[in-house]
Amino acid sequence: MMGNKIIEMRGIVKSYYLGTPNELEILHGIDLDVYEGEFLSIVGASGSGKSTLMNILGALDRPTKGHYYLDHLPMENVKDDGLSQIRNKKIGFVFQTFNLIPRSTALKNVALPMLYGGVSRSERSRRATELLQLVEMGGRSHHRPNELSGGQKQRVAIARAMANDPAIILADEPTGALDTHTGRLVMDIFHRLHQEQGKTIILITHNSELAEETQRTIRLRDGSIVENRKNGHYQLEGCYESV
Amino acid sequence: MNLFENIRLALEGLRANKMRALLTMLGIIIGIASVMAISTLGSAMTGSVTKTMDKIGGKNIMVSLSPKNYDTQSTLQEDDLITQEELNDFRSTYTDQIKAISFSTGMGSGQLNSGFIHKDVSITGASPDYGLVNNINLVQGRFINERDIDGTRNVIIIDTTLRNSLVGVDGDVIGKEIQVDTKSTNETYTVIGVYEKLVIDNPLFYMGDDTRIECFIPITTAKSLNPDTANQNGYENFTIMATSNTDSAAFALTTKDYFIKGLGPLSDYTIQAESLEAIASEATGMLSTLSLGISVIAGISLLVGGIGVMNIMLVSVTERTKEIGIRKALGARNSAIRSQFIIEAMIICLIGGMIGVGLGSALGIMGSTLMKFPTNPPFLPMIIALCFSMAIGVFFGFYPANKAAKLDPIDALRYE
Ligand SMILES: Nc1ncnc2c1ncn2[C@@H]1O[C@H](COP(=O)(O)OP(=O)(O)O)[C@@H](O)[C@H]1O
Ligand SMILES: [Mg+2]
Repeated sequence: MMGNKIIEMRGIVKSYYLGTPNELEILHGIDLDVYEGEFLSIVGASGSGKSTLMNILGALDRPTKGHYYLDHLPMENVKDDGLSQIRNKKIGFVFQTFNLIPRSTALKNVALPMLYGGVSRSERSRRATELLQLVEMGGRSHHRPNELSGGQKQRVAIARAMANDPAIILADEPTGALDTHTGRLVMDIFHRLHQEQGKTIILITHNSELAEETQRTIRLRDGSIVENRKNGHYQLEGCYESV
Repeated sequence: MNLFENIRLALEGLRANKMRALLTMLGIIIGIASVMAISTLGSAMTGSVTKTMDKIGGKNIMVSLSPKNYDTQSTLQEDDLITQEELNDFRSTYTDQIKAISFSTGMGSGQLNSGFIHKDVSITGASPDYGLVNNINLVQGRFINERDIDGTRNVIIIDTTLRNSLVGVDGDVIGKEIQVDTKSTNETYTVIGVYEKLVIDNPLFYMGDDTRIECFIPITTAKSLNPDTANQNGYENFTIMATSNTDSAAFALTTKDYFIKGLGPLSDYTIQAESLEAIASEATGMLSTLSLGISVIAGISLLVGGIGVMNIMLVSVTERTKEIGIRKALGARNSAIRSQFIIEAMIICLIGGMIGVGLGSALGIMGSTLMKFPTNPPFLPMIIALCFSMAIGVFFGFYPANKAAKLDPIDALRYE
């Protein structure tokens, strides 16, 4: 049984113009399909274009060429405010460097996407508290980021990514700045979100062991997909098709 | 994104940078404070001018014959004088505008003698309406009446200080005879009334310390005692009290035109008619010139303050580039970012404006108290000042806020 194809990319090219005549092509025609509920990893050497791809996936950036359908919606037709709304409702970002707002408490950070989503004040604080408990940070809701350890910050960031119950979580090297142990804890949270809440998760990582834990791994090299492999222990039917 | 959240955010940002915020506000504070101080002073002054004007007869128009040319020898002809008939005609033409007309003539100073008491006084011959027109506050007896005038009676109105030295505060001075010697006369008068001298405590109307005691006698009596005027049949000067709803400055011009026609073309004299209101509005006009000057300074200060706010907002946008990127990644629309920064600029300016209003009002109250007409700061300029400072925030905050709103989310996120 085929699931809902939540992401469909066809011939995605991203280039930067560093002043004519230099044109730097970073992504060279990426084709990618992701199904709802999939846990996908993207690996590749530094500079291979993983983050660039993620920015396009997350509606932060537009491709130079190609078509991207997010939940069947052609993104090239969406205006900037529409992209904001998509980021707000459909995407949850987790960054390597956490990207929490330094002046705001953990609670306020988690509530922020809901603020931009027009959720009422009382509902914001109720759900933010609940999410912090989910990532076992309930006791730290009034701490500011500089009072938290890296692992704690990342857990707050994951709670924030979940704020508007997005369809897709995009995590760009979320364990990259963490030691093995805390990285493990963060990874376990992703597994839980995937298994218990059925979230579609796209994880960018350097760590091939962590990539092995996901259902499918995509390997990028110099801006092209060179491998698209189902990982052994997952036996979910029809969650991917070869590219 | 809601306003309350933006305000909270802005206040948080300001609290983190108190000193910087205060320095940024300085221009706004100075600008608003000076506007507020001058408008407080201004309203105090206009208030006190109006009050004093009411006291001394703001509706009065002083009409007099005066030489056309002061350099040449001018002689006042009997023809030039304004006759009683002319005055009666004038009065019946403008019944709605005229409340009263009074006449007076100065007799100069003299010495009052009563028993062992000798006092320097000045004597004024007055008509019955003089008391009304000049706001004479009679505390005992009566003022001059028509019979005193017709009978050229030797009656006199004295002031309370004179009464006190003659018979004491509680003594009855009415009916008492006193003798007054001037240069050419020594007459005995019967006291018919006591008035209390008007105290003008307004420094704007300060006319020197007048410690003279002024006494009033019937104008006919005064004229008969002066050989120059004994046979005069008309008036050289008089005071018109206009009704309260008459524009006395305009009516002064009407009056002048009216009487100038009665003068022969060959006369050396012309008519002067001046309203106290016009004189007072000259004084307040001076104030508005002063306020204009201060407003210009305040305007410059507000402009500089506004530019300062713009500058600090640009710094703030740069400092918070990454934060802006994060907010955008989390779904903030450009408009949400823009309003966040505009509101922050507005809050800076509003707080500056509030400090300025407080400071300016305090200065205004202090100044007006020092100048002896204490007042409350006017409400409307306060509101205008606050609204204006917010408008400065919007105006000078717009460019930095727009810059923040238009940042590319990826560039902003990558900013270190
Ligand atoms: N704004 C940009 N202008 C020019 N080159 C860029 C820009 N952003 C990224 N790149 C280049 O694109 C390539 C891919 O970057 P990135 O996607 O961040 O790689 P990865 O995340 O896989 O390490 C790198 O060579 C990087 O230098
Ligand atoms: Mg990267």
